[in-house]
Amino acid sequence: MLKFILRRTLLAIPVLIGISFACFGIMYLATGGNPTSRFAQNPRVTQEQIAAWKHRWGLDQPWPIQYCKWLGACGDKPFLINALPGGEVEILGLDIDLPGGDNGLLHGDLGYSINDGRPVTDVIAERIPPTLILMVTAWVIWVTVAFIAGVYAAVRRYSAFDSAFTIFNYVGFSLPTFWLGLMLIAFFAVGQPVKWFPASGMWDARTVPIFGTDAYWEFFGSNPAYALTDLARHLALPVFTLVVVSVAYDSRFIRSSMLDALNQDYVRTARAKGLPERRVVFRHALRNALLPVVTNMALEIPFLFSGAIVTEQIFSWPGMGRQFIQSVGHDDTTVLMGILVVGATLVVFANLLADVLYAVVDPRVRYD
Amino acid sequence: MRSRFGADAPLIEETEPEPLPGAPEGADYEVALVSLNQWQLAWRRFRRHRLALFGAGLFLTMCVIAIIGPFLLPYDPLDIPYPVQYCPGSETQLAAPGCPPLTPGHPLGTTGSLQLDLLTLVVNGARLSLLIGVGASLFAATIGAIVGGVAGYFGGWVDNLLMRLVDVMLSLPTLFVIILFAKVFGQGDWRVILVVFAILGWMGIARLVRSLFLSLRTEAFVDAARAVGVGDRRIIFRHILPNAMSPIIVATTLSVAYVIIGEAFVSFLGYGVDAHYQPTWGNALSKAQNYLQLGNWWWAFFPGMAIVLTVLGINFMGDGLRDALDPRSRE
Repeated sequence: MLKFILRRTLLAIPVLIGISFACFGIMYLATGGNPTSRFAQNPRVTQEQIAAWKHRWGLDQPWPIQYCKWLGACGDKPFLINALPGGEVEILGLDIDLPGGDNGLLHGDLGYSINDGRPVTDVIAERIPPTLILMVTAWVIWVTVAFIAGVYAAVRRYSAFDSAFTIFNYVGFSLPTFWLGLMLIAFFAVGQPVKWFPASGMWDARTVPIFGTDAYWEFFGSNPAYALTDLARHLALPVFTLVVVSVAYDSRFIRSSMLDALNQDYVRTARAKGLPERRVVFRHALRNALLPVVTNMALEIPFLFSGAIVTEQIFSWPGMGRQFIQSVGHDDTTVLMGILVVGATLVVFANLLADVLYAVVDPRVRYD
Repeated sequence: MRSRFGADAPLIEETEPEPLPGAPEGADYEVALVSLNQWQLAWRRFRRHRLALFGAGLFLTMCVIAIIGPFLLPYDPLDIPYPVQYCPGSETQLAAPGCPPLTPGHPLGTTGSLQLDLLTLVVNGARLSLLIGVGASLFAATIGAIVGGVAGYFGGWVDNLLMRLVDVMLSLPTLFVIILFAKVFGQGDWRVILVVFAILGWMGIARLVRSLFLSLRTEAFVDAARAVGVGDRRIIFRHILPNAMSPIIVATTLSVAYVIIGEAFVSFLGYGVDAHYQPTWGNALSKAQNYLQLGNWWWAFFPGMAIVLTVLGINFMGDGLRDALDPRSRE
């Protein structure tokens, strides 16, 4: 077992290196190594200033050196940053010790946003709580619903519930997430026919301070009931959207896994022994059906972090997906690379976790 | 006549009895009357699958609408009516919500702001949405079949290298990268968008084809082909690939649905196909969100409904194909 885990971990290393290279390559390709399109609109910026800006960021160097520095494998000087308040070009060379220790991906430092100069790790870190709040709430609900419905549909195979549920799954599968979101806003958030929920955002800007600030937590401490209700009201529509489109996939999975288990010899044996059906279903079939379901859940973990880009965009939820789309708009290459690297790395670790989990919970699996 | 070992070989030799040649006319065992090849057998099973037929009908209807629909409508989707014809009750400003459905002349209503006819947008949008969905899926399937076939057939370091590439690409959040590429390379050109979806969507098929090749390359007919001196390329594409076709067809069909939804979202964001040149279902509703507040729900509703119906049809069809082409893989 230990050998298997070790081998599996070693196998992940070339993939992680490949990911870092792919993320850098994608950005380099995407900008031609020249993310200066946002200066094109500004006639006050001279060519010299652009050249100086590129030099400060090390963008005038050949790509292998840029990659190496971003990775943190070479170079001891930190990137220097500039600030661009309101279109004015001002070049600042920060020659101070930078927070986060040594620079580079290998040291857990993703560099600085070339849009506003903040550390990319900070940009990502402040987006993680909203994303997690949204995704974990939705995940808990959709897994519960999918689990109950999937098991019930499998036990009552070919019943009216099973057929109705299959149709629901087909529809859920076919709904474009963004369109479902728009329709929910149209019918439940703008007052025709009803205005039960806010159409966008994460908090009511008129009464609640910005999420994540000290003022917010102070407010939260002084009036937790209001803050929580407000959050729940904002959560309702995006969570519902995510649940509808995700239940379909998971419940299908659980249903077929449960059907597999119900057709096994040990279930027939249990029935033949005269055990009550309840016990057969819950003790014998369900426990074995859980194996693939658990690993499938491990594979869903990365999406809880990287967020639902579509849902976040439609409902203006201030999470990772929305940050990504905003950064695409700004050509903010460092932030984009950071989000891609974090997302992809999580996927690799979730795969690893799923494999190991499977080997741990199922003694029949042999990996030698 | 294709290869003796290829597509013409019945898929389920073990279970279907060999057709009896020369069975008497009117014999009451149906199997013996006609010799059916793999595709005829599949069509028989597909025909019995009612939802699949319904889905195929839905999808074909959309295709027909896409092909001939634009010729039947009086409006051009890119012609902005000037002066803008406002509906009664909203003639005041550019923020007018548009005509509701069932207005004379506009059965699905009009968009907000420019007051474009929605039926025209939906019908014309079908062309590119379907073209990108089908085209990108076929392109991706081709890449996937080549990569997966080569990896599965040769094995060894080639396999290792290609599969690590697949691992890396599958780890990346695909939709994120698609949005980025669509914005940077696409510049509103639908051909580039199609290619972007293809080069970021072949990995699943590559894995599938590889696993099929791993088992098929040990079959006797491959040994036989190799023994008579058939080259690697011919073995891969003429002998093994036709036998791996069924799951590839199913996966490709289902991926059409995924690409249509993906393209719609990217165009909705404004990074996909340029709404000023060619309508798609996605870019048709790209500004619709701003008009929800004004009560214009139909602008977002109808293009989205077209997507839902098409995707539903494709999903039904894909499941029917799975049952028809590969009866062993039934749930």
